[in-house]
Amino acid sequence: MKALLLDGCREGDYLAMEAVLEMTAALAGRADDVEVVKLRELAISACTGCFGCWTRTPGECVLQDDAATVLRSYLGSDVVAYVTPVTFGGYSSQLKMMLDRCIPLLDPRFTIVGGEVHHLLRYRRYPKTVVLGTLPSPDAEAERLFASLVARNGFNFHRTFEAEVLVGVPDPPSARRCAERLLDRIGVTA
Amino acid sequence: MNALILVGSPKGRVSASWMLGSRLAEGLRDHGVTVQYGMVHHELRSGEGTAKLLDLFDSSDLVVLAFPLYVDSLPAPLTRLLELAAERRGRTSAPGNPRLAVVVQCGFPEAHQCDTAIGICRRFAGSAGMGWAGALAMGMGGSLEGDFRRLPGGGKQILDALGKTAEALARGGDIPDEAKAVFARPLMPRWLYILTGNLGWRLKMRKNKARRPIGDRPYAQG
Ligand SMILES: Cc1cc2nc3c(=O)[nH]c(=O)nc-3n(C[C@H](O)[C@H](O)[C@H](O)COP(=O)(O)O)c2cc1C
Repeated sequence: MKALLLDGCREGDYLAMEAVLEMTAALAGRADDVEVVKLRELAISACTGCFGCWTRTPGECVLQDDAATVLRSYLGSDVVAYVTPVTFGGYSSQLKMMLDRCIPLLDPRFTIVGGEVHHLLRYRRYPKTVVLGTLPSPDAEAERLFASLVARNGFNFHRTFEAEVLVGVPDPPSARRCAERLLDRIGVTA
Repeated sequence: MNALILVGSPKGRVSASWMLGSRLAEGLRDHGVTVQYGMVHHELRSGEGTAKLLDLFDSSDLVVLAFPLYVDSLPAPLTRLLELAAERRGRTSAPGNPRLAVVVQCGFPEAHQCDTAIGICRRFAGSAGMGWAGALAMGMGGSLEGDFRRLPGGGKQILDALGKTAEALARGGDIPDEAKAVFARPLMPRWLYILTGNLGWRLKMRKNKARRPIGDRPYAQG
């Protein structure tokens, strides 16, 4: 089993970096191969909104940068974990830069999912996805928004994405429990 | 009153976000508001541009985020700007000022798909000590191609909602609920949007001389 972790935190954010370490350890206990991608170290440009990945070179972005390597790795994984500081209830800009570049994974044509319009899937198989967010102090509204964002992202891939938010100062045992719980919830076993 | 319209689409002046944001700006000007624009995607490419936007942010009475929904939230560069603005404002600014308003549209037909993004903007306003003036959200953003007159009904519902919004914001008020409801009303039946949308992708492929099938799988395994 292959696991991919998308590290969307900034250097110096100790809580989020702790979450990355513990999620990596939790994945290593269940997968044969864990790849950790530090998004802050890659060259990933912002999506230009041109839809070239749907109407010029279907399935592939017209920009040539590290995002393509991440997308190949994403599709080759059985499980993907995003780790990010919860940012006003959403993802960090670092993680979002990559997520905006994920639309080549979908097919532009519209279909109905759960009563709403979404896109058709381009591939037959996608990884199971979990999202671990961090917050330095409790913030019920940010947590609620984060849960709703992650759930909505799941609809885009016609599946359930699971989320947890780790709140408080860095504490390895609780970060590890949070990560294990998430993997249990999507049924990732050793 | 000084207003700053931040256009969050990377497509700049050929975007649906610009079409809506600039029309709102016209309405604000008609009510005596001084309006400036910031093209977020473009300005954030340089340190100077970023500093300029942050300064404008702080010297405005009203900031309007006009953006497309990207992956159920804000485009990454706009998120980056908000991170920077919140960091800086935490240190310096007067609470409740400027006020933040949002005009968001998405490609799917249902306006409610923008709700999480609106919540994120509102939470940002809270973190940055700004006032919250509300949000307009609409689906079927793919229909907004430069000219309101080509929209069903001449785009009257959108223009009315933007007009009422401009008037309220210029007075220092919140976006009226009535404007929100009218703006969110579907421009056409959902089945028609799906049909024309799916045809639209094919036509764009032909125009772009795409050589691969629409459902191609270049990253194989799947
Ligand atoms: C990277 C990317 C992500 C998008 N994600 C969503 C989405 O989650 N939901 C949606 O309804 N539309 C989504 N869209 C569609 C845009 O919101 C829509 O095309 C919009 O009208 C573009 O506005 P603009 O012309 O101002 O850029 C996405 C488009 C892009 C390029």
